[in-house]
Amino acid sequence: MNEQLHQITLNFADGVTHQFSVAAGSNILDAAIAAEMPVLYQCRSGGCSSCICNLTQGEAVTQAGASASLLGSEFDAGQRLLCVSQANSDCTFDMAYGSEVGSTAAREVHAFIDSVERIGSNVMKLTVELAEGEWLEFRPGQFMQIVVPGLGVLRSYSPSSTQVNLPKMEFLIRLLPGGAMSTFLENEAGTDHVLTLSGPYGAFFLRDEHKRVPHIFVAGGTGLAPILSMIDTLRQSSGRKPPMLLSFGCAVPEALFSQEDIELRQQWLPSLEARICVDREATEGLHLGSPVSALREGDVSNPDTVAYLCGPQPMIDAATQRLIELGVKAQNIFAEQFVASH
Amino acid sequence: MSDQPIIRRRVVKHGISDARANNAKTQSQYQPYKDAAWGFINHWYPALFSEELAEDQVEGMMICGVPLVLRRVNGKVYCLKDQCLHRGVRLSEKPMCFNKSTISCWYHGFTFDLETGDLVTIIANPDDKLVGTTGITSYPVQEVNGMIFVFVREDDFPLDDVPPLANDLPFRFPENSERFPHPLWPASPSVLDENAMIRGMHRTGYGNWRIACENGFDNAHILVHKDNAIVHAMDWVLPLGILPNGDDCISVIEDENGPKGLMQWLFTDKWQPVLENQTLGLKVEGLNGRFYRTSVVLPGVLMVENWPEEHVVQYEWYVPITDDTHEYWEILVRVCNTEDERKKFQYRYDYMYKPLCLHGFNDCDLYAREAMQNFYSDGTGWDEEQLVATDVSPITWRKMASRWNRGIAKPGRGVAGALKNTSLIFKDTADGHRPGYKVRQISEE
Repeated sequence: MNEQLHQITLNFADGVTHQFSVAAGSNILDAAIAAEMPVLYQCRSGGCSSCICNLTQGEAVTQAGASASLLGSEFDAGQRLLCVSQANSDCTFDMAYGSEVGSTAAREVHAFIDSVERIGSNVMKLTVELAEGEWLEFRPGQFMQIVVPGLGVLRSYSPSSTQVNLPKMEFLIRLLPGGAMSTFLENEAGTDHVLTLSGPYGAFFLRDEHKRVPHIFVAGGTGLAPILSMIDTLRQSSGRKPPMLLSFGCAVPEALFSQEDIELRQQWLPSLEARICVDREATEGLHLGSPVSALREGDVSNPDTVAYLCGPQPMIDAATQRLIELGVKAQNIFAEQFVASH
Repeated sequence: MSDQPIIRRRVVKHGISDARANNAKTQSQYQPYKDAAWGFINHWYPALFSEELAEDQVEGMMICGVPLVLRRVNGKVYCLKDQCLHRGVRLSEKPMCFNKSTISCWYHGFTFDLETGDLVTIIANPDDKLVGTTGITSYPVQEVNGMIFVFVREDDFPLDDVPPLANDLPFRFPENSERFPHPLWPASPSVLDENAMIRGMHRTGYGNWRIACENGFDNAHILVHKDNAIVHAMDWVLPLGILPNGDDCISVIEDENGPKGLMQWLFTDKWQPVLENQTLGLKVEGLNGRFYRTSVVLPGVLMVENWPEEHVVQYEWYVPITDDTHEYWEILVRVCNTEDERKKFQYRYDYMYKPLCLHGFNDCDLYAREAMQNFYSDGTGWDEEQLVATDVSPITWRKMASRWNRGIAKPGRGVAGALKNTSLIFKDTADGHRPGYKVRQISEE
């Protein structure tokens, strides 16, 4: 039975269908990569959810000994992580992204530091420029891994800039006491220092197929970076701009950053509304409470509203629950949690 | 890759002085405008005068880097992208139409429906599987009082989202007479008014459309008209310049469903005409007050009320062709309810307005804009210019346009003017043909 092949069908969001075969008991993602399917993935160990998709026909289960970060309820609803799944029959999966998305392969590039600037009590803005002859493509919301010079360890950050700004890229980086990247940025980083980056990674990105419906963005701390990239991409894209609501928060007013960038975008985009939140010590014009608490009745008037959330896990959980309560469909909520790495 | 040396790109650094009216912060506020070298797309633009397109005639032109072909059938004007989807030939270069509902590419016979742009057949390959599955972009057309307007859209801009033409035309009177009172002159006519008679001309300007557009409502530019014949023949008081008196000198209009633009409160106490410069011993000697008012709306339409005479209004467009050419439109509008009034307006146009105003007066604007072009043509001028108080008008316009444009045109691709140094440009120039607006059709001789 081991040599039995199952036929896997992938239905991408843009209507394109791809098929490939996988041996019974074998890893579906490995077979997909071998067959050059345009699928997204990153950790290949059941953790990051980049390869998440929805089983609509057939039987696919988590491989013995593997652990998937899916909830039981999500598994029951048909969600699968391809990187830890095997097929027990012919299977059909719905992919939430278009077939051209995954064809953006990750690559390694070098970049020169243009500037390192402290923009909030614990946030640095890092601006870099890709080296001569080097290039990459990324979707707004995806992240890059940056090698911390000297230490060789990797840290993941989403550009706050867009594809249009290349060869320049901008990152918003939270400073953590004693953190590897933080120590480098505070003590060593300088103009013309060379960094090694790889990417893009991740399935958290602006969905082109939803670009005409109202958008809600909820960002906590430096979770603002991928959101700024998304807002700028919508601004630069063709046609009528959708209504956009940004709810962004930090702990205290001193921790806030990128206020001018947000104001500028409000000036450029009549359809962008911004609510700036702090957990404590709110001053005039700031909402007291989390960016989730700033969401209110009436914010979701269109049932097709799409939401993008980026921040710590508790914020994402609360925002997801609140948005569903307000009328956003679960499948239209896209989230990325960021994990603090020292 | 690790064997390759890692090399820094060429770095260009600019410092922006804070003493300028356009300091770094102000500049960032109109960054989208700085990005709009090829114009604002998804707007209505004038394409031709009606008299330039007879029944069954085909004409090609380019707007915002988009090649367009117009054909009139049974009186109605249709507009399609003038670039065959097969291999990019311009349909207008050698018009070929076999019926009233299509236009064919004269090279390989790809044939398109005039209304939808659908590929309906290929002359010598009617069974090809491509037929019926694809097409070229179509553009909404509106013809009014002798002018043909086209909504130049991106390929994926939904037709349902196309706004009315009036949203891309200047403020109308008398419905705005209370909002923008004009005690010194009668209500200005509109292109859309019943019995509006429109006379004017269009010609190619050699420079970026923004340079041309800003000239019209820049209140310091009137110095270039100091020595114009009509000013002296009519003994007009045309100031050396006009200075703003306060922040309320310009109103920005952002009505939800209407034109977006700005109105300048000229000839009120909000602006101070400058009639003398003692340092240079200059003084304006005219006798007759010449009141006028300029306003501008997206996508770059100038209105000069009460100009050149009462009951007449001058409109101008600076329709982007490429990033360094634009079609300069000047029209004069007057409501003429009788044949007699029409005749009189025509006579006045032929023997006064056209020679003395559109040519004598506005020719100065044309060369003044060209004189500015080199400074801006490589992009550095937008960073290096040092604007002053009187430049409040262009700065306000740039910010307003950054906010309300419906899209920034992408640089032209696969079209004339996308590259500046091709052999075809040299050939045409050597043959005596300037870069221009309309497509020169192939003649069989």
